Amino acid sequence: MLIDTNAHLGPWPFSPLPDYTGPQLAAHLAASGIRRALVSHLGAVFLPDPTPANRRLFAAVRRTPALLPVPILNPALRTWPEQLAECRAAAPIRAVKLLPNYHNYTLTAPALDEFMAALAAAKLKLVLNVRLEDERHKYFALRMKGVPAAALGGFLRRFPSHHVLLTGLYKPDLEKLAPEHTNFSADIAFCEWTNTLEHLLKKIPANRLMLGTCTPLLSTRAETDKLVRASLPARTKALIGSENARRFFNL
Amino acid sequence: MRIIDVHTHPIFFGSGAKRPEVARLVARSRALGIVRMVSLGDVLFHGAHPTAAQVAELNDDNARVQSWHPDFFSSFCMLNPVLGERAVMKEVERCVTKYGFKGIKLEISNNARDACMKPVMEAARRFGLVVLQHSWSMVNLKLRRFHSDPADTAALARRHPDVKIIMAHLTGCGFRGVLEAKGCANLYIDTSGGYPEEGLVEYAAEHLGADHVLYGSDLPIRENTVTIGRILGARLSAADKQKMLYGNTARLLNLN
Repeated sequence: MLIDTNAHLGPWPFSPLPDYTGPQLAAHLAASGIRRALVSHLGAVFLPDPTPANRRLFAAVRRTPALLPVPILNPALRTWPEQLAECRAAAPIRAVKLLPNYHNYTLTAPALDEFMAALAAAKLKLVLNVRLEDERHKYFALRMKGVPAAALGGFLRRFPSHHVLLTGLYKPDLEKLAPEHTNFSADIAFCEWTNTLEHLLKKIPANRLMLGTCTPLLSTRAETDKLVRASLPARTKALIGSENARRFFNL
Repeated sequence: MRIIDVHTHPIFFGSGAKRPEVARLVARSRALGIVRMVSLGDVLFHGAHPTAAQVAELNDDNARVQSWHPDFFSSFCMLNPVLGERAVMKEVERCVTKYGFKGIKLEISNNARDACMKPVMEAARRFGLVVLQHSWSMVNLKLRRFHSDPADTAALARRHPDVKIIMAHLTGCGFRGVLEAKGCANLYIDTSGGYPEEGLVEYAAEHLGADHVLYGSDLPIRENTVTIGRILGARLSAADKQKMLYGNTARLLNLN
């Protein structure tokens, strides 16, 4: 059984991707062996306030237990405590997600002190998304890059007691950060090279990697095959494919 | 399922050139169902503008890999078109007669619309070779002097309708690139390049026809499990997937 730590519902404005309902997404993921997925709503990426998209997320997954909601918050907005409170009231949540590059703040923002303290108090995990797409292929008018590795390193040093899940890291950035910082795990969606996982495991232990497909932006089957068809011991695949996520998200 | 990978670099910036490394690559690839690989050479080892001697050296390296596993590798002759007609013809003739290379690989020495492409296409015509042109959308990369946008590669194909051309890197060409290629019977597109972005394989099949889409990985930059999985997971018929993974390239390059 696989757990996907990086899946989405909702439309994406720049390419004709499937806009799944909750049950459709669950069925699509199941076709690639994924039985549970941590899901956010893409509508929150571009809205000035992510709340309406988070509401759509909770509504969409309400009757689909395979999909676990991970609302997207924006700590650059003064009302983030209200956003968080509404999400916690809507459904049991295990984590929240941040998109600093899409929401126009840096990881040195002072508001993050209070925000991280609030997550700790609520026993919530943080998923920090680095990118959603290859910057070379983004819509021509979007002037945006992934969150720089140096900024991620600074964030990890700033909050050493938080173990964070980084999604969308490129392989070189992951390999650069891993030896220096032990307080993060990473998904493998945007890591690729021949024998990706064999290479990654030289720099980061298997208990810090998780399957993430970035569905529907990337091909679910392609991303799961990266793990399923890798030449790795079954125990290693189990850690990356589900056990690390189960432990991290307390599933 | 049998697979031919039409876009690979077994030697990449000098790495992977040793015989045991190549043997491991072949064994690993065969385990995934890959029965043939088209080796395009270590195309950027000497940068974007290699000399004639450097081009010959890289083609010799590529031929060595092919000689170790002739039933597995087919090779393309890399060229620097800017070197001119005499150098181009000499190198193509050498690679075809000496090594039996099946095609021509063009990287980023020039734009596909440039006049220096004329002798390259004449060489392809004379020796019956397929031309694989590196292509990538230049919308966000301002490098068009040396790189070819899919519009440039499509223009090349329209100028030379009697030469079969592969537009490399479906993912880098994107949705617009597919539309640039639409309507060119002599133009094919390979699925290599970039992360496995959803929907592009289906879009290419819809607009170009499944028989004009060729499986390619861009190994070692990309992972075969991922690039194959992207096609297997596409919302297409099994027959169309099999065409992309094997039949189209087998037919194009006369590989059995």
